[in-house]
Amino acid sequence: MTSLKKKRCSSEKKAGRIMTKKIAIIVEHGHGKVEHGQGKVKPIIYELLSLAQKIADGQDGQIVLFVIGDHIDRLSKQISRDAGYDVCAVGVPGLLTYNGSVYKKILAKLFVERRFDYICAPHSTSGMDYAPALSVAIGASCVTGVEDVFAADGNICFSRPMFGGKLSATFSKGASPLVVTIQPGAFKPVFPDNSTAGRVTKMVYDGHEDRMTFTGTKASPVAGSELGQADVIVSGGRGIRDGENYKYMEMLAEIFPRSATGASRPICDYGWVTYSKQVGMTGAMISPKLYIACGISGASQHIEGIKDSGFIVAINTDPDAPVFQIADVCIVEDAIEFIGLFVETVKTRRLGEGSDEK
Amino acid sequence: MKILVCVKHVMESESEIRVNDGGSWVAHSDSTRFEMNPFDAYAIEEALRIKERFPDSRVHAVTVGSDHARNTLRRALGMGADEGVHIVDGVVGRPSPFLVASWIASYAKNRGYDLILTGIMSSDEMNAQTGPMIAQMLSIPCGGAVISEKISPDQKMVSVERETEGGARDMFDITLPCLLTIQTGINLPRYPALSKVLRAKKKSLDVIDSGVFDGNEPDLIFKGVGSRNKKSDGVFLDGTRQEKVDQLIDILEKKALLQ
Repeated sequence: MTSLKKKRCSSEKKAGRIMTKKIAIIVEHGHGKVEHGQGKVKPIIYELLSLAQKIADGQDGQIVLFVIGDHIDRLSKQISRDAGYDVCAVGVPGLLTYNGSVYKKILAKLFVERRFDYICAPHSTSGMDYAPALSVAIGASCVTGVEDVFAADGNICFSRPMFGGKLSATFSKGASPLVVTIQPGAFKPVFPDNSTAGRVTKMVYDGHEDRMTFTGTKASPVAGSELGQADVIVSGGRGIRDGENYKYMEMLAEIFPRSATGASRPICDYGWVTYSKQVGMTGAMISPKLYIACGISGASQHIEGIKDSGFIVAINTDPDAPVFQIADVCIVEDAIEFIGLFVETVKTRRLGEGSDEK
Repeated sequence: MKILVCVKHVMESESEIRVNDGGSWVAHSDSTRFEMNPFDAYAIEEALRIKERFPDSRVHAVTVGSDHARNTLRRALGMGADEGVHIVDGVVGRPSPFLVASWIASYAKNRGYDLILTGIMSSDEMNAQTGPMIAQMLSIPCGGAVISEKISPDQKMVSVERETEGGARDMFDITLPCLLTIQTGINLPRYPALSKVLRAKKKSLDVIDSGVFDGNEPDLIFKGVGSRNKKSDGVFLDGTRQEKVDQLIDILEKKALLQ
């Protein structure tokens, strides 16, 4: 990759300057969020910790976790023990779910009072909302959806996907502090040896906010769908070309016992199938024995939902489709034509075997 | 209601995407096609639906970009937007989300918009930063990933459902003025109407040079663009379609995934 400075970014990091990097991690405490579920600490904290340790790069980085929410004392203690780093327990009475206005007000205060070089958050639906706003509030720059971190020329570099995952762009911190969000699932979680617990500092912030009031939740359309139980899932994406062609997914699924059909988000958006079929971050997170992606390009939100599948077959006309980066078997073909021939061939063979036995 | 919708002119995501020689951005060729960021089409459509409910409303579309970006403004006008605002970015290189947001915020400030809408992200850079940044710069509340909205009859408040992980929804009442980033699937964006497209061609746009706005931004080092360093362990099947079918059957049978 060629090193090329963006014209508008003028300053350069001074080489050879070694100093302690101050790194903050934002940990949300709320119901139903990717960061935590039912008070349990989900791996995203440990993915963020992995990021923070890579940023520290063996130097004496100072890592602090900020746990935000109501009733967080126990959780903060647990995190300080499990992670072995200092924890700021930011109590916000009454904040039981993510509220963007409350978060932005509190985060701005927190990080204006405490200067950090790096602030790390998940690229979740909430992180996507508060991280860019936080960077504006504190005069930091912002890089979102990071999926890789590496050292090059003495700089820590952050790579993030573009164009649906076909390309990536790389950045490193300039003179300003940097807010970084990471793609959930992109970093291997680290579980540090918890030889010494970190210190817990408690503080309380006012969560009162007139302009944005939480009024309730609604269950996901995929709640209770068959996608969670199926051994084999056949999903269709834009590459099936027409809603009519979705029947090919059903035909292919029928070849397999305990199977179900799914879909990428775009074809749900087009109204070709209902959202109860959606596979991905904003739909069902699945782990079948076999996943067959038909005409799906493989946006990161979809990949995140299928990466725990046992075996992945992808069929797509575009050899550069990002779905091939995760697939075990890659087939560059038109999905509909291929499925037609596949189903026909399997049925013919089965008929043949049936007559052999007679 | 006065509504501002932010739209971006992007390379078609289905077109072939290659890094340019300097590794600084994507290569353009004569065959490169551009379009309105598909995510922003949902934001335009939602604004037009609000206008249908509140006929006094005015829908303005704003874009930041080169002269080519006017095609995207024309598309917005063709769909039914009332005015187009072109903030001309004449500088070589791509403006950061921060700069784009600060220019749009500077434009929108003191112009009395009740509602600002953006797509949830752009299909090219996928930063998902511009919307929340504009709201922060204007000190107005921001509803992210909105999948349903309803403006109150007195037009002082909007009830929204925002999508969260797994497709669940959190519901909020947000006071106006505010900004909403619109999630896909909230509506089905309409195609431009021929009569409106013809009118849009003649309509004059509000053109503003980005040079009139503050050009300062936080310091970030851009190292370049590259192909994604994701290694693929997958096997690409070769041969005719029938040979690929036969190979796949063999593979699945060996893995006991097909009987």
